[in-house]
Amino acid sequence: MTAGVADVAGKGMTRPGKAKFGPVAWLRWIWRQLTSMRTALVLLFLLALASIPGSVLPQEGIDPAAVAQYYTAHPALAPVLAKLSGFDVFGAPWFAAIYILLFTSLAGCVLPRAYRLAKSSRQPPPKAPRHLGRLPQSTDFPAAGPADEALAAATRMLRARRFRLRTGDGWVSAEKGYLHEVGNLLFHLALLGLLASIALGGLFGYKANKLLVAGEGFANTPTALDVFHPGRLVTASDLQPFSITMTKFTASYITSGSQRGQPANFNASLSYTAQPGGPVGHYDLQVNHPLNVDGVQVFLIGHGYAPTFKVTDGTGRVVLDQPVPFIPVEEAGLSSDGVIKVPDAKPQALGFSGEFLPTAYETITGSVGSEFPAANLPRVVLVGYEGNLQLNNGQPQSVYSLNTSQMRRIDYPIKMLAPGQSIVLPHGLGKLTFTGYRQWASLAITYDPGQLPALFSALAALAGLILSFLVRRRRIFVRVSENGNGTVVQLGGLTRSDAAGGFEVEFAELTGEFKRRLGSAAGSSAPAKSAVDETSKDGADEVALAQSKGE
Amino acid sequence: MIRLPRFVRPGRVAAVAMAAAAGVVTLTLAGCDGGSIANSSDPGNSGNSFVGASYSSKFFQVGSRPLAPAVTGTLLTGQSFSLRAQRGHVVVLNFWGSWCAPCRQEAPILGTLATDLRGKGVRFFGDNVLDSPDSAEAFERTFNIGYPSINDQGEQVALAFHDTVPPSAIPSTLVIDRAGRIAALVVGAVSFNGLKALIDSVLTGKS
Repeated sequence: MTAGVADVAGKGMTRPGKAKFGPVAWLRWIWRQLTSMRTALVLLFLLALASIPGSVLPQEGIDPAAVAQYYTAHPALAPVLAKLSGFDVFGAPWFAAIYILLFTSLAGCVLPRAYRLAKSSRQPPPKAPRHLGRLPQSTDFPAAGPADEALAAATRMLRARRFRLRTGDGWVSAEKGYLHEVGNLLFHLALLGLLASIALGGLFGYKANKLLVAGEGFANTPTALDVFHPGRLVTASDLQPFSITMTKFTASYITSGSQRGQPANFNASLSYTAQPGGPVGHYDLQVNHPLNVDGVQVFLIGHGYAPTFKVTDGTGRVVLDQPVPFIPVEEAGLSSDGVIKVPDAKPQALGFSGEFLPTAYETITGSVGSEFPAANLPRVVLVGYEGNLQLNNGQPQSVYSLNTSQMRRIDYPIKMLAPGQSIVLPHGLGKLTFTGYRQWASLAITYDPGQLPALFSALAALAGLILSFLVRRRRIFVRVSENGNGTVVQLGGLTRSDAAGGFEVEFAELTGEFKRRLGSAAGSSAPAKSAVDETSKDGADEVALAQSKGE
Repeated sequence: MIRLPRFVRPGRVAAVAMAAAAGVVTLTLAGCDGGSIANSSDPGNSGNSFVGASYSSKFFQVGSRPLAPAVTGTLLTGQSFSLRAQRGHVVVLNFWGSWCAPCRQEAPILGTLATDLRGKGVRFFGDNVLDSPDSAEAFERTFNIGYPSINDQGEQVALAFHDTVPPSAIPSTLVIDRAGRIAALVVGAVSFNGLKALIDSVLTGKS
């Protein structure tokens, strides 16, 4: 923000007189305090400060699992933090309070200012001051012709330079650089626009994540999404009713050289409908090339393997036959961890936890790993458990973790399984077969109606800032008078904002041109001075005079 | 990208509550904040509440009930299903998955009520999502579920309710009256007394 705003806002900063401090005066005072530059800056700082817990504490909206972990790690502190919205900082009432106050502060500052600028931009420049010598920039020189001719010539020159003019008896005022104020305003309005855009996204936008196994599909409805963070005013009916099926996922990796194992390309082949029964579209989803459906962007943000298993229980029935997504735990070989829960196996519920190794190796000491991310030699290693999975008590649990506190380890030799191989469980518990693998893609679904307005606001803010820095608002006054020796032209210059500097130079150029056109000593150019000091001004006058005489 | 059990966040319950228009009785219960993972150790109010450990429920009075969409699908058994063919019955449609803990908690309640109320013209259906048919059928054997479920791996049934009363979490239970209009939505696990009271009020209602 620039000093201009401070000036405008600053006018209201004085407290009303103590004698008349009624409720209206109080309200006026509070409003002026709120809309002051200082308050806006304090609020901006507070907003930044209030965001800190959002990056220090795990957030419900970003990583609910981390919040759950925090509860386990700090059982006493977590509920207190939850009461203070510590796990939902950006949705907290106090955060909203700062945000709304800042918004009000800015709006209360910028909107009246915009109105004043709009009014002032239609007004002509002020009358020329009587004593131009008191201005920061001033000079005078004798003119050749009569006073009215000199004044007319000066007016023409200033008009040619596209100054806005006001003329009077023996003087002309000129003003230029309204774009400075326009830029300043544009910046502030854009800042408001930016805040409004963010609010728009926060109220009407949503974010969701979906892990999708190749060959499967989902609909954009809350029950299908793994993680769903709706804006404040978003209901399930507001979600764009598209459906997406991932027909195929391919990943390729660099196979040799120092970059070996680095991803070369990911491609998720999608077929989708924007609404039920609508035409089917196809899209090759790649990293940073989102699919746009109905204003919603679908990004490819991750991938991994879902080994497929078939579990037959002790009664001989198939109780599970599906891909189970495993989560990569390292990049180089994409070794992935996962769990298989079979709550409905008889006689006992079963659970397995283990690792999927895309290109498996085993060292002579018996440790295993994966040496390449592609599934060149897919293997799984699983540890089995029987007992109570604690799924029937109604407490939600992650599908990626196995609570073995009420389970017993099933005794069988642990070894790597190749596709098609099985573990026959002892004690008539059944059989698990590793049937193969599929790949999964992790999709980020984002709808942010404020995104485009935010971009335009940011660009406008930048443009406004540049404009207000590069353009200076300045006034040039000319007074022409006749004394005993002939016509004297007085020039005065004033700038209200000169962030980039250079008005002195401009004034000097202008003075030079005036002297060439109007001066009795055409061709000579006296240096313009910027001193307010009377003595030096007089001295310069003498120099100018002397020069003209010398000619 | 970790798939966590899907539950409404407290904020969503508030949003749902706000969305309830005139004529809609909204019963947002004290135990609603059990929706977040972090707070899920709260058992919710297990007392004499209208619905048990659920996060929210909505009841629509006769006259303000939205018409249920045309829902068709294939049952786990392979037969075809049409919601419209159930007109004349009160339909209870439960969205569930075998992996979902609250679904497993409420399953015995649903199974019992389905049997008890069949004679009164109430038909229960499940909508099995994010599951595999083998696991779903094993679940039905475990809880002795006698009513059929739609095999809805693409969530097309949930999507069909987009413009009316979409289920916002798993489990969710819709009660549809004899005229094919949506009378209630319970989000979260149902309680025996709560769901029975809901169904009874739909049964005794004018439609």
